[in-house]
Amino acid sequence: MASTTQQPPTGAVSETAAAGAGRPVEPPPAASAHRDRSRGRHLSDKGFALALMAPAGAFLAAFVLWPLIRFIVDGFFEISPIAGGSRTFVGFENYVTAFASEAFQNASVRTILYTLIVVTLEFTLGLAIALVFSALGKRSTVFRTIFMYPLMIAPIVAGLLWRFLLIDNFGIVNQLLFEAGILSSPDQINWLSDPNIALFSVAIPDVWLTTSFITLVLFAGLQNIPGDLIEAARIDGARYPRLLFSIIIPLLRPVIAVALIVRGIDAARAFDIILIQTDGGPQGSTTTLSLLIYRTMTRFGEPGLASAMGTVYLLVMLAVAIAAITLIWRPGSAAR
Amino acid sequence: MNGLETRGRSRIILWVLLAAALILYGFPFVYLLLTSFKTPLEAIAVPPAVLPTQWTIENYVSALSREGVPAALINSVVTAVISTALSLVLAVPAAYAITRFRTPSGRVFIVAALVTRMVPTIAVGAPLVEIMRNIGLTDTSFGLAIAHTTISLPLSIWLMASFFEAVPDELDEAAKVDGCSRLQALWRVVIPVVTGGVAVTAIFAFLASWNEFLFALLLTSIRAQTTPIVIANFQSQFGLDWGGMTALAAVYSIPVILLTLFLQRHIVAGLTLGAVKG
Repeated sequence: MASTTQQPPTGAVSETAAAGAGRPVEPPPAASAHRDRSRGRHLSDKGFALALMAPAGAFLAAFVLWPLIRFIVDGFFEISPIAGGSRTFVGFENYVTAFASEAFQNASVRTILYTLIVVTLEFTLGLAIALVFSALGKRSTVFRTIFMYPLMIAPIVAGLLWRFLLIDNFGIVNQLLFEAGILSSPDQINWLSDPNIALFSVAIPDVWLTTSFITLVLFAGLQNIPGDLIEAARIDGARYPRLLFSIIIPLLRPVIAVALIVRGIDAARAFDIILIQTDGGPQGSTTTLSLLIYRTMTRFGEPGLASAMGTVYLLVMLAVAIAAITLIWRPGSAAR
Repeated sequence: MNGLETRGRSRIILWVLLAAALILYGFPFVYLLLTSFKTPLEAIAVPPAVLPTQWTIENYVSALSREGVPAALINSVVTAVISTALSLVLAVPAAYAITRFRTPSGRVFIVAALVTRMVPTIAVGAPLVEIMRNIGLTDTSFGLAIAHTTISLPLSIWLMASFFEAVPDELDEAAKVDGCSRLQALWRVVIPVVTGGVAVTAIFAFLASWNEFLFALLLTSIRAQTTPIVIANFQSQFGLDWGGMTALAAVYSIPVILLTLFLQRHIVAGLTLGAVKG
């Protein structure tokens, strides 16, 4: 009921909602007849909000939180990989093993590198393309559509496709570079079998696949920038770089934050796209944390150790993301 | 459009740059299509050629007649549809509550949704294997759809929240002044304004399921196996059948690419709907 009493002209939305939640005010008499019949009349604003969030909350609790708790608990046990096998409580032993293991340390570094490569390339390309689309206006619609297409392709397909494009002996990329005179022989670059560059190579399909996402999100944000603001800056003589860094990017900040956080998290979790290209090789040079944990669990048969590694991985991602959120974007409290 | 448009010569340069970028961007999939029309032998010829010397649908016939392939395609559709519906039904009201009421619980909720997105798939997937076994949903499309919704729901809440943010509160207020309840204001006034956003969210939810791999690997074996698993198995199971793989990859990717082209109208409409000014 309190929601019906927010004063429209004040504009101080969060303040009104926060104050209104505990302080029901009688609706204007003219409208109260309708409200008497409406559902949820007895609910406070807070209660109404909770009721709307409850189904999603229950779902996430049952199918994310509960499995996660079990996963974290598993990290303190030594578990036989056979179904119904023995469980022994071992305290922090799995954590000690994980931190001491070189495989875990290396995989952590690789995960960070992989994420940085993907996000940097995607953001730079994505913003550039979104700006080009904005600059070209309505006529770029067809191009926007075409550009979006890789977003629809499964990572497993993208990984296989790029493996096929980059494969040592019959990859078309090296063949075309050779024919263009850039390479002196078609097998000069061993994209996926040279341990020094494989981590970069496996990131290419990820960039190809999801730069469109960043473009889509940033382009949408660009459309919402008030035209008169840009015009005013232009009239004041602002050149494009200044326009970009002083007006466009600051205004896009919440949108950029969403795009970067979402993509950063996804890149740090990348699994199938790497698995299908190199299976973590050559010489383990593309074994990121998600691959290492999967293997430790399924192939090496150590679910307890895998759970401990996964818990560390999760906590670090949490810490990084929460830092990112508090620094650049505050969910649910953004002033308008 | 707003004042970001350019005119004159720089416009031509931009068009040329864009065309070049798009050719590079489009080449991988075009090459996949071209390869799928080569003979299986030519697909792995050294040195490779861009165009097939002899066009054939041999790869398509062999890939689609493989055991398990038609069933996997059907499973992918069923799983994705269930998961999309589930995501929207759960995400739309939640996102609306978060953006409109700004209660502490809403803030906790969107952070929780965000945290869910940070969870490595394996950390949920491994325990889900046992949970699905306990509730009798192992190797079923519904069980897999639930797992896929754990991925798409947080993203859907985020997307819907940003679409709702773009709708001025005055719109809800006006609806309420006109005598709508809070639920009616959401259903009759706000949702029609964000249909574009709902469409975009649905596309992303559908794709999250359609393209997902690890949950499908862990939670299905025979009956509910989806196409990404079958595509991944092409190399090990059938030797290095790159021709067949490209054909099945094309069959799997083209419908969603076309669907998106068809829904592009809605996406653009959704993205420009911020123009609703009070």
